[in-house]
Parts: sequence; C-alpha cells; structure tokens
Amino acid sequence: MNNNSAKATLQSILQTIYPFLVIGVIWEVSVQLNWMPSSNLSSPSIILQRFIDVAFMDGILWKHFLSSFTRLVIGFSLASVLGLITGALLSMQPLLNKMFEPVINLLVSVPTIAWVPVLLITMGLGDKTVITTIFLGSYFVIVYNTMRGIEIVDKNIINAAHSMGVHGTKLFAKVLIPASFLSILTGLRLGLGYAWRALVGGEMLSAMIQWGVGKMIFQARFWNDTATMIVGILIIGFSVILIDQVMINYIEKITVYRWGMVNQVEESNLE
Amino acid sequence: MNKPIVEIRNLNKTFKSDNQTLLALEDINLSIPQGKFVVLIGPSGCGKTTLINLIAGFEKPSSGSILLEGKPIEKPGPDRGFVFQDYALFPWKTVLGNVMFGLVNNGWKKEEARERAKEFIHMVNLTGFEQNFPHTLSGGMRQRVSIARALAYDPKVLLMDEPFGALDAQTRKHMQKELADVWEKTHKTVVFITHSVIEAVYLADIIVVMTARPGKVKAIIDVDVPRPRKYTEEHYLEIREQVLSHLDAEIEKEQMQHPI
Repeated sequence: MNNNSAKATLQSILQTIYPFLVIGVIWEVSVQLNWMPSSNLSSPSIILQRFIDVAFMDGILWKHFLSSFTRLVIGFSLASVLGLITGALLSMQPLLNKMFEPVINLLVSVPTIAWVPVLLITMGLGDKTVITTIFLGSYFVIVYNTMRGIEIVDKNIINAAHSMGVHGTKLFAKVLIPASFLSILTGLRLGLGYAWRALVGGEMLSAMIQWGVGKMIFQARFWNDTATMIVGILIIGFSVILIDQVMINYIEKITVYRWGMVNQVEESNLE
Repeated sequence: MNKPIVEIRNLNKTFKSDNQTLLALEDINLSIPQGKFVVLIGPSGCGKTTLINLIAGFEKPSSGSILLEGKPIEKPGPDRGFVFQDYALFPWKTVLGNVMFGLVNNGWKKEEARERAKEFIHMVNLTGFEQNFPHTLSGGMRQRVSIARALAYDPKVLLMDEPFGALDAQTRKHMQKELADVWEKTHKTVVFITHSVIEAVYLADIIVVMTARPGKVKAIIDVDVPRPRKYTEEHYLEIREQVLSHLDAEIEKEQMQHPI
C-alpha cells in the first residue's frame, strides 16, 4: 500500500514536470542550433547556471526575494484585515452599501498598475508606494468577495444565531465569517495573485527601491541579461504556486472541505 | 389550567410587496399555557410559519402584541429556542460545537457547557457522534442535533417550524416518538408547526387549527389522550377525525376561492 502511494506521488510529480521538460528541451536545442540567437534569449542551461550563481554563489537572489516577500506580507496582511472589515460593514449596513458599492465596483476593475504613477507622486519613490500598490491590488477583490459571501449566508443560519442571543460583532466573528469562508478564501486567493502582480510592477517603477525580484528583473535590462530576468520570472511563478497550492490549499482542507461546504471530487486521487 | 407563558393579543401581520398588501394574519388571539405542547396546523399559506417567526422575534407584528411572561417580544433571544425545518446547523462546528454554541454565548464556562451539551446529545441518542460534522449525518440525526442545540440553553419556550417536514416517512415516525419521549422528560412549553394531522394528534396537548388567507384561529382542540400514545387508539382516532373535518372545510373553501 505504501509502495503504491509512493508510486502515485512519483507519477504525479512526473506529470507536473513533464511539460516543462519538453519545453526546456525544445528551447535548449533551438538555441544550440542557432534557430534562436542566444544574444536575444538565453538557453535553459545558461538560465540554470545563472540561477545557481545568484542563488548559491553570491546569494543576491534571496536578498531580492526577501525584500519582495516582506513587502508582500505587509501589504497583503493590511489588505486582508481591512478588506474583511470593509466587506463585512458593506454587507451588514444597507446605508453604507448603497453609498460605497458603486465605488467598490468601479475600483475592483481598475488594473492596479494604473495607480502607480499617482502613488509615485503622493507617496514618494520608495517602499511606501510599493506596499500601497500591493494593498490596492488585493484590497478591493477581498472586499468584494467578503461582501458577496456574507450576503448569501443562509437566512436561517443567521436566525439561529440570533435566537441564541448572538448579534453584532459577535455574529460577525462567530457566524458570518465561517459561514462565508468559501467566498472569503476565494477573495484572499485572488487577492494574493493580484498582490504579486502589483508588487512586481511597483518595484520596477519605484526608483528608490534597490532590492526586490521586480527590481532584479528590471535592472537586468541594462545588461541585456535575459537569463536573470527569466530566473526572476520563474521565482515569482514558483513562489505564487507554492503559497497558493501549499498554504491556501491546506487552509481549504482543514476548513471548507472538512465542513462539507465543497463537493469533493476524486478524493481518493488526492490521498 | 396552567397560566399562559406566551400571550398573543389582537395580532395582525401584513406583508407589502411592490403594489399590493397581503394580510397574512388577522386578529389572532391565543394563549400558550406553561408546560404544554401546542401544535399549530392549517393548510399551506395559512401563516403558521409567519406566526412562529413572530413569536421567535424574527419578524415584527404590524399591530397587536405578543407577550412572553408578560413582556412584549422585540427581538430574538435565548429565552426561546428555535428548531428549523432545514436544521440550520452550523456546518463549521461539530455536533458538540453546535450544541455548545448557545451555552458558551450565554455565559456558560466552557467545561460546564461541554458537560451539559453531552447530556443533551445523549438525550437525543447521538452519543458517539460528538465529533462529527453535520454534513456527515443523516437528516434525522441533524434534526436531533438541532433539537439538542435548542434545548441545551434551557429556553422558556421551544419553537419548532415543521421540524420533520424534510424527513422520509419512516424517520419521521421515529422522530415523533423520540420527541414525545424527550418532551416527557423535560415538559418544556412547545409551539410546533405541522401540516400532518397524524403528527399533530400524536404530539399535542392542544391543537390550534388555522384558516388560510388571511390566517385566523379557527378552532382550538384539547387532546386528552393519555401518553404514551398509540396511532390506533380509539380516542386518538376520534380526535384525528375532528381535526380533519375542520381542515377539510378549510381546504374546500380554499379551492372554491382558487379553483384549479
């Protein structure tokens, strides 16, 4: 049995890696045979070499990554907390809802990068701008999903809580949040993706920023260094997948899946 | 006669939609005596759910008043327990967590709440399922959790809105017996809604028959059949006929007004 599950794990890892291997090989071959000039696009072997250099030889990759990650954590945490509160207020107070829902609807559809020039003027060229960009990137989508999630909570669930004397902020914390957790998680997941996008854009455009994955990619442009750029791109991709698949999937597993809020498909395959 | 715990006086309830008003309840006067099992029965659309929602405080009367121990009901509160047709359990809480919820939120210490919740889970025959989440239970089991949840914090009145309406016939019959047993142990004042005459006569001390559109009280019938009751007993059958004849008249009237 153990042997079988190990085999299944290996198989699923291979299935994930396989398409990357195919693309990698085609890419490498076409650069080696000069179908694609290596001055324009580095081959996978050079990218790998560069990765080893920046990650293990001089280690600057991690310094870039850590700067970005710190900004992400600050901006995204702020957006999550304030987004949850705003979403709850908008869904529970009809008057506030009437006033602000159109504003939220408008802002949720503005690409975050469009804010950056405004922020560069109002907040300066440093960390504040980048963190605010991250905040704006994830805040609105979290507000929106929280608001909708709470609005569709079963009326009888709320009535049941009321009949046990639970109202107000207690109702919010103990009933509305868990009852709408599926929507809230969707908001957080989308918000996190948007936050990364905003982060990279913000770092590229903020002149006073020295460290950050976005900055690393942008600076590599001065040396026509496509290998470093692609290392940066892959690092962003992998870390988003890691956070999404590992952290959020784990939260889902111990919450909404456990509570039977999601129809479970092919659970035996996951095990 | 026991003294009334809930008194409904000259109660009217209208619902307004875009351009019409619907009179749901008209001039209801009703006393619910302490410690009695009162069943409201009537054709669909007679406003019995509206009436129980008003007692629960989920809705407000258009005129008239509802008093609980002499004080007007203004909002929902733990002095009334509510059992919903669709259970309305909290899916993120275990059976134990659901039953503890009303206790912990009304000043009980966690340890004491746990002990008391376990007693009530035992009373509805769910010992061993404390750590289950509601979605893993059958409909009948979920409704038992819901009953334990509503009884645990010791409300003065237990309100039950067609609690067995969503269950299959076998489970329903079984649940009626269990509820009768639980009631014998607690002698809680109960207001119970159903449209099953069999269920009404099996459970009730007092049956209130309601008319449709607008909902009014048509008849109040005392059920003096000794407990535990049998569905085949002669006196049980007599009362069943009595309730049925009241209801038949209502349903005929309803069909005269709204022919198919």
